[in-house]
Amino acid sequence: MTETLIRLAVSAMLVAVMIGVAAWARIARPTAPLDETAARDLLAGEFPDMKPDYIWIAGDGAGVIARAGAEALVIYRLGDSWVARSMPWRLALLAPVHRGKVLLKLRDPAAPMARLAVSGVTPWPPQSPAEALAA
Amino acid sequence: MTLDPIKAAFDPVALAVPIFVITIIGEILLGRFRKAKAVYEVRDTATSLGMGLGSQIAGLLTGAAIFGVTLWVYQYRLFTIPMTAIWAWVAVFFLEDLTYYWFHRLSHERRFWWASHVNHHTSQHYNLATALRQTWTGGIAGTWLLWLPLILVGFPPAMVVIQKGISLVYQYWIHTEAIRRFPRWFEAVFNTPSHHRVHHARNPRYLDANYAGILIIWDRMFGTWIPEDDAEPCRYGVVHNLGDFNIFRVAFHEWIAIGKDLAGSRSIREVFGYLFGPPGWSPDGSRDTSATLKAKWRAREAGAVSPATAAETVPLQAAE
Repeated sequence: MTETLIRLAVSAMLVAVMIGVAAWARIARPTAPLDETAARDLLAGEFPDMKPDYIWIAGDGAGVIARAGAEALVIYRLGDSWVARSMPWRLALLAPVHRGKVLLKLRDPAAPMARLAVSGVTPWPPQSPAEALAA
Repeated sequence: MTLDPIKAAFDPVALAVPIFVITIIGEILLGRFRKAKAVYEVRDTATSLGMGLGSQIAGLLTGAAIFGVTLWVYQYRLFTIPMTAIWAWVAVFFLEDLTYYWFHRLSHERRFWWASHVNHHTSQHYNLATALRQTWTGGIAGTWLLWLPLILVGFPPAMVVIQKGISLVYQYWIHTEAIRRFPRWFEAVFNTPSHHRVHHARNPRYLDANYAGILIIWDRMFGTWIPEDDAEPCRYGVVHNLGDFNIFRVAFHEWIAIGKDLAGSRSIREVFGYLFGPPGWSPDGSRDTSATLKAKWRAREAGAVSPATAAETVPLQAAE
């Protein structure tokens, strides 16, 4: 038992060392804030069969909500990667804003909530174009 | 020479731990100094390594019970295969690897076992740390039962345990983007970084492929081999990637999803479908499985589906 605990403790220390080296190296993928072109590229990769007709980009460029028919296509940044889900557009429009972020319930145990930054330039729900508001 | 047929004389995985540490740090340094392709995100790395540590603890909790069942089966063995015979090691090498292939295929193609295995695929990175993102619930999922026929035939438990460890250590080093391809003869016989990159990819064309442990020949024999296409780089992770780095979510999210689906089931058929259907199965077919994702991809490739048409048919939820 003692040997097992020692082995686990040593493993934990080694894990900490490896995480420290990874932090020092700074070799994550570059993730520039999204612009419309980058957002459309991401949407095309994640939702290849959907055709977005309206795109809203988060205030910090770390996410996008696109409307495709009755669906809201949601993508947000996680570390240096992206997480994508869809939800009904009408529910996305009703999503509350709290502390500068729109909170989208994704109804998925693997990704329960998306939090995307809003700003004065990019309010939620979007004020224009008008068709974005039509559920 | 005699070897204890019950207790393994050595644990290949434990012996390999220093190699794991040195090679992970080495891969990070290669990436840092641009000598090879290696991408590490700190929280993703912490999650992978945390899962590896957690799997050690989970193994302690279930290991005794699994060992007990194994010994019980060994009492009823058909033959007594000597641990000192070279032919026995050759035989267990091939048979264990074949068992691994079917274990791995089952773990991808049936949701109950996918729930245990999915965590290994949840990183959107492919590096040596990803290799250590191991399951916490494998003992509960019961996939270890697949190795019991080897015990029943008469392979000593220690022999099977050692060979399983060798297989696990072999599969560690192939989790890398730093190595492109090996000579053709090696790629034809062995599982390699290139083959296994395809296995970890979420591109529809690469789904449910390359289940091999050590030998890729099983995939070639059973029709699940897909070569890496340089024109379509692998995008790693699961079809619906996880929303955060919480290791408990990594370990249990699919089990929770199964529980929610079972709670809403309206018939025995639905219960069986949610448990043992392919990941993404749903009673009305409204979710995507690997098969439907591949079909849509083929249709796009053929130009048969326009985006506008497809938008009307794409379901709200998709398979992992």
